[in-house]
Amino acid sequence: MKRTFGSVLGLTFFLLFAVNSGLQGQVRSGTSNGNARGAHAASAPVKITLPLKKGSVRFAVIGDTGTGTSQQHELGDILLGSRQGFPYEFVLMLGDNLYGGETPADYKNKFQDVYQQLLDGKVKFYAALGNHDEPAQRFYENFNMDGKEYYRFTRGNASFYALNSNYMDKKQVDWLESELSKDSSEWKIAFCHHPPYSSGGKHGSDDQLRKVVEPIFVKYGVNVVLAGHEHFYERIKPQKGIFYFISGAGGKLRSGDVKDNSPLTAKAFDSDMSFMLIEIADDGMHFQVLSRKGETVDSGVLPNQKRQK
Amino acid sequence: MFAVLPTMKIKYGVERFVFRTLGALAVMLGMTLAGVTIQAQGTRAADVKLSAHEQHMIDAFNAHVRDYLKQRNRVSRKLPKLSREATPEQINAYQKSFVDALRAMRAGTMPGYIFKPEFAEYVRTTIQTEFPVRDRVEIKQTILEADTKGVPLKINYPYPEGKEFTQIPPTLLLKLPQLPKEVKYRFVGRHMLLVDTDNGLIVDFTPNALP
Repeated sequence: MKRTFGSVLGLTFFLLFAVNSGLQGQVRSGTSNGNARGAHAASAPVKITLPLKKGSVRFAVIGDTGTGTSQQHELGDILLGSRQGFPYEFVLMLGDNLYGGETPADYKNKFQDVYQQLLDGKVKFYAALGNHDEPAQRFYENFNMDGKEYYRFTRGNASFYALNSNYMDKKQVDWLESELSKDSSEWKIAFCHHPPYSSGGKHGSDDQLRKVVEPIFVKYGVNVVLAGHEHFYERIKPQKGIFYFISGAGGKLRSGDVKDNSPLTAKAFDSDMSFMLIEIADDGMHFQVLSRKGETVDSGVLPNQKRQK
Repeated sequence: MFAVLPTMKIKYGVERFVFRTLGALAVMLGMTLAGVTIQAQGTRAADVKLSAHEQHMIDAFNAHVRDYLKQRNRVSRKLPKLSREATPEQINAYQKSFVDALRAMRAGTMPGYIFKPEFAEYVRTTIQTEFPVRDRVEIKQTILEADTKGVPLKINYPYPEGKEFTQIPPTLLLKLPQLPKEVKYRFVGRHMLLVDTDNGLIVDFTPNALP
């Protein structure tokens, strides 16, 4: 009975999703988006489709950024440009914030220089740790981790849980369960590096992580899970009533890595780098995904699961 | 086996029937035995009491970890406290001072001071007995997937900057002795390391902890 109810609920969410975003089933972006390497897109107009409702919580999501390459800069320019039309307050970082070294020069080249104008504009970055990140990053002033490998913060009616999926020990599991059990926020959003669900050919779903965290997410009504690790964008069909996203193409791209006809995929984009813009408003969580050319590659609105019940 | 059978040149239908039946029976017997083995292995639940030998080994391990914590805390107390809003320069300077002081204090410490050989055996047994086959495969894949070439199997050396950290599958981590936040398990290939969280020092290692 419970399973049937869950399936119906999941299907309802998915259909709502599809209708709202104008998408039906898997729509992989074609190669027409092409490989935009070298095309500096800073001046490209960024058309915002988000509703910009009064009092909404607005943020961006980037993952696997820390390369310091021209590609990261190009996407960073679009991220910056999008703030003109969508004044987001903060950015979630989904791990692998610094690849291949963590000297002061690395912090500068792979983070500060890329996002300096956002930092100047008082945009706060909240980081999760990836498999390329030293735990010492938790002390870095611009990652706002408060010296913790996993932490929680709130904005408006939403709680954000930064998890260290690289080292999910009992202390972290207990902390997550304890925090969620006290959390009455309307939106509970978890973000971490490794994706519990993925259609990636290189990595794929992190089943061992999912076995530990998903029962907790389900039990305490986590609405959305954001992850990186895979260097592409993927919106997963709702799983057990939870919306899962992968946004791990902020500094690297694994072109063509999303498996064709994956039963998990609601929408995938793996032909260019990308990031997400999110707005939590009264009527749901709106999202828009932008490529390095400033093109919208996915968008939609998610209903709040609690309100649906 | 089924794939092999059709390729065999058997002239008579009866012989083909007997061969295939025997083959099928062999496969079924194999699967049944495998199922029994998996079921038997799966009965060692996480809450099953440890043997006296295992308990003694883990107690000794925990005691040695506490010894290390005393050492590193003596060092860290002498260092300027790292702010929770530190600059990259401050983070790097803190890590370097921490590692240098710890290495000096631990000079002469031998590998295996914390990880006794029984610990690697315990980890291997845990993986073999606590997880069904599919999980075992995934755990090993996850650990071996990381690019850790160049990480030295030497104690008192810092984990090389820029090298990937292997994700420890949470299902496995939850079955290992819990560590204080100051140290972490890491894997380099099949070998398990104990690494200081704040400064990356390789505190100890044990070879072939992964089956």
